[in-house]
Amino acid sequence: MDLFIGSENIISPLGNTASENFNSLRRNESGIQKHINVGFKGEDVYLSKIDSKSIDFYSLLEQSFSESIKGISDEIIESGRCLVFVSTTKGDLSHVNEDSIHSSVQRLQNQFKLANYPLIVSNACISGILALNAAAKLIRSEKYDHAIVIGCDVVSDFILYGFQSLFAISELPCEPFSADRKGITLGEGAATIVMSKDKDIFFASPLRYLSGSSSNDANHISGPSRTGEGLARTIIKTIENANVLISDIDYISAHGTGTLYNDEMESIALDRLKLNDVPINSLKGYYGHTLGAAGVIETVVSMQCLRNNYLIKSLGYKEQGTSCNINMIQKNLEREIKVVLKTSSGFGGCNASAILSK
Amino acid sequence: MNYITTYCHINSESCKVNGAIVAENTGENWLKDLYLNLGIKYPKFHKMDTLSQVAFLASEFLIRSNEDIGKYKEDEIALIFSNKTSSLNTDIKYQNSYENGGTASPAMFVYTLPNILLGEISIRNKWYGEHIFTLFPTFNQKYFVDYPEALLGEYTKACLCGWVEVNNDKIEAFLFFIEKKASKQLNLLHTEQNIERLYKQANG
Repeated sequence: MDLFIGSENIISPLGNTASENFNSLRRNESGIQKHINVGFKGEDVYLSKIDSKSIDFYSLLEQSFSESIKGISDEIIESGRCLVFVSTTKGDLSHVNEDSIHSSVQRLQNQFKLANYPLIVSNACISGILALNAAAKLIRSEKYDHAIVIGCDVVSDFILYGFQSLFAISELPCEPFSADRKGITLGEGAATIVMSKDKDIFFASPLRYLSGSSSNDANHISGPSRTGEGLARTIIKTIENANVLISDIDYISAHGTGTLYNDEMESIALDRLKLNDVPINSLKGYYGHTLGAAGVIETVVSMQCLRNNYLIKSLGYKEQGTSCNINMIQKNLEREIKVVLKTSSGFGGCNASAILSK
Repeated sequence: MNYITTYCHINSESCKVNGAIVAENTGENWLKDLYLNLGIKYPKFHKMDTLSQVAFLASEFLIRSNEDIGKYKEDEIALIFSNKTSSLNTDIKYQNSYENGGTASPAMFVYTLPNILLGEISIRNKWYGEHIFTLFPTFNQKYFVDYPEALLGEYTKACLCGWVEVNNDKIEAFLFFIEKKASKQLNLLHTEQNIERLYKQANG
């Protein structure tokens, strides 16, 4: 079954629409700034935060959803054949209780009169890709006809202190895949993608989602696999299911967190599959790591690359810092892009991938 | 049509496999008693948070009672787990570590994601298959029919599904295994009615 994706949106420090965001990326602008006295011991920390005091989890979720649904037929939103997905790691952490996520999701359902309670995917940093993949599987098995996938997470002390305790926060803006990388930079944002088996629900011309899958490393709950096992396995499954060849892939949107071990793991997995020469970047230098939102934000950017035949340089990359060669995009490139591979990996040994095309 | 071929319940009172009691809570340290009951040596168990321990124990009791599970290849079994409160129990402990304990605990922080339990089960069994953790306000039998049906196919041949909840002192695990054919022990169709009935068995 052909699946169409479109009507995409991103709310981030780089803009409130997909095209605003892409214009910022074309100018190689980053949302990352130094924030004073925010660390656990009062350290200054680089973060990609939305510059507004009124921003909270629900307002981000609602804003991205509202923007996105402007691009599709009205009757879809309230249809029982449409399932909304919310991808998030922690939801609203202003109160840590059993409603941290459900209260916002319930509010979204009420506000937009959604027929079904949204499906909340909370699977660490692969949540966004997993939500897209789950949407595709449920539509292809004819349980639903349409899906609206929102990824959303906000920066919080809870998450920042945790990554600090793991010594995983970079003192400078993150430098994914680069030799002197020292960890992640956290970010916040939301993004939305509409997926449907029906091309006609989109006001603007949609793209295609070909396939996706997930695979566990079965190795360690917080350390990336030394062999890239799960990532290699999910990419193989996704490519086979998409009915494309390795040589068809024009661009890889990597996870690339900027930690020593994650980026090394990704390079090993890509090397195993002979994907070394395909242009690749990480968008974490622009958005930071937005956790549950990352997969959806980065997929929306991939969609702009397909629409514009344009690739964005991997911000923060200076020199090769992984044992296997990969073809980092070092300056913006104009070129025909037909097939994109998106990957993500996270705690719990989880890995997911998806393939999009024109 | 698919079949439920094994299921396991753990709550604060007992551990049951296919409805039959395997162990009853008589002591102070119920989860450790269940671990000892398994007769395995798996030091990682002691590092897990309660949510992962409960899921791990239920998966062990379920897997050992269905010999067919071992016949699947390492990436043919999907893990489909859900709950209501995510990792809330550990979230509160972790938050307390930095608000009142003077330091954010990295060991607790790692468990503030519910999908870590999928990693624990994958590591234990060397399973590389599909996996997903989702949240619902209440147990959702429709999802537990729809999603396994959507996944079963070329790569996924069986699904280990689970609802695992730890909230204050309350623990609850309901795991069930779905295959394309019935097992020797059980001949139970994979339907919403059957899943709901088995889920309620634990609480009724």
